Amino acid sequence: MQRLSTTFAVLASMGAILALAAPARAQQLKAPDDIKMTLRLLVQVSNDFKRQITARNFTRVPHEFMEYTEAADAVRSAMSGESADLKAKVETRLKAAVAAYQKVSDMSAKETDVDKLMAEHAKAVTAMNALFDVFPAALRPDPNLPPPGRGRGRG
Amino acid sequence: MPAHLHSSVRPSRRTLLIGCLAVPLSVIRCSRRPTPDEPRVVDLSIESDGDFLAFRPDELTCPGGALVMLTFHHRGKFLSARHNWVLVRPGQLEPVDKDVEHNEGIIPRDDPRVIAWTPMCDKGGMVMTRFTAPAPGDYPFFCSTPGHGECMQGVLHVTT
Repeated sequence: MQRLSTTFAVLASMGAILALAAPARAQQLKAPDDIKMTLRLLVQVSNDFKRQITARNFTRVPHEFMEYTEAADAVRSAMSGESADLKAKVETRLKAAVAAYQKVSDMSAKETDVDKLMAEHAKAVTAMNALFDVFPAALRPDPNLPPPGRGRGRG
Repeated sequence: MPAHLHSSVRPSRRTLLIGCLAVPLSVIRCSRRPTPDEPRVVDLSIESDGDFLAFRPDELTCPGGALVMLTFHHRGKFLSARHNWVLVRPGQLEPVDKDVEHNEGIIPRDDPRVIAWTPMCDKGGMVMTRFTAPAPGDYPFFCSTPGHGECMQGVLHVTT
């Protein structure tokens, strides 16, 4: 009887260890530095959108959208070695984020109300943050973090 | 062998004499120190921080009056954003940046606030500019692509 309970305890401990290890294993990415860098690029371009809108430089907004799609491709490239499950999850949210930024870009062709464009941009940022939630906290860029340059976003 | 063929191959005495003098003279010319009147030539190089909006390094130094040969390397790999390097007089970064914002960042040739600038550069490319370093002081530089100047900037320290 005692032997049986010991065996059960060992099996239960092993099960618990495996259950705890599973999410950690899922978070072990092949190219975390590349992924982190490309996610930061998305934030940088998103901030560029904001700058062009607040400066009323609406003709530049479609150019920023083009850069956003390039940054999205960079994320896809950085994800190439990751599991199919994770890639699929990222792709779904990345597509949603790109679509949200496209909406801002399309809107900027006719809309000149900065507040309305900024409201649409805020929705796009929410979509982008949903993408970041897929990744471990250490890889998620802080949208409020100043850019790396010396100017650090004056104004 | 016909005489005309022979003479075309064999160098004349005058050619030999010029050749003998040219080598030592060119060596003397290369090793000659610039006179006090001649500007010192300084090579500076700067690059973008990959695809990020930052210069690396963001501080440069050169002596006043030097002939500066500056090379800018666009180290981007992913984004099609273009960059350049524009040196302006103190306090003129924001006004110049704002003025060229709606003009794709193109710097007008006759702007007295601008000391030097490189052409716009695509990712992976390299551009150069040459200018005489101004009087000692700190001079701001930036990228004039609309929206970049806020982050992509630095300082040229001109020493005595």
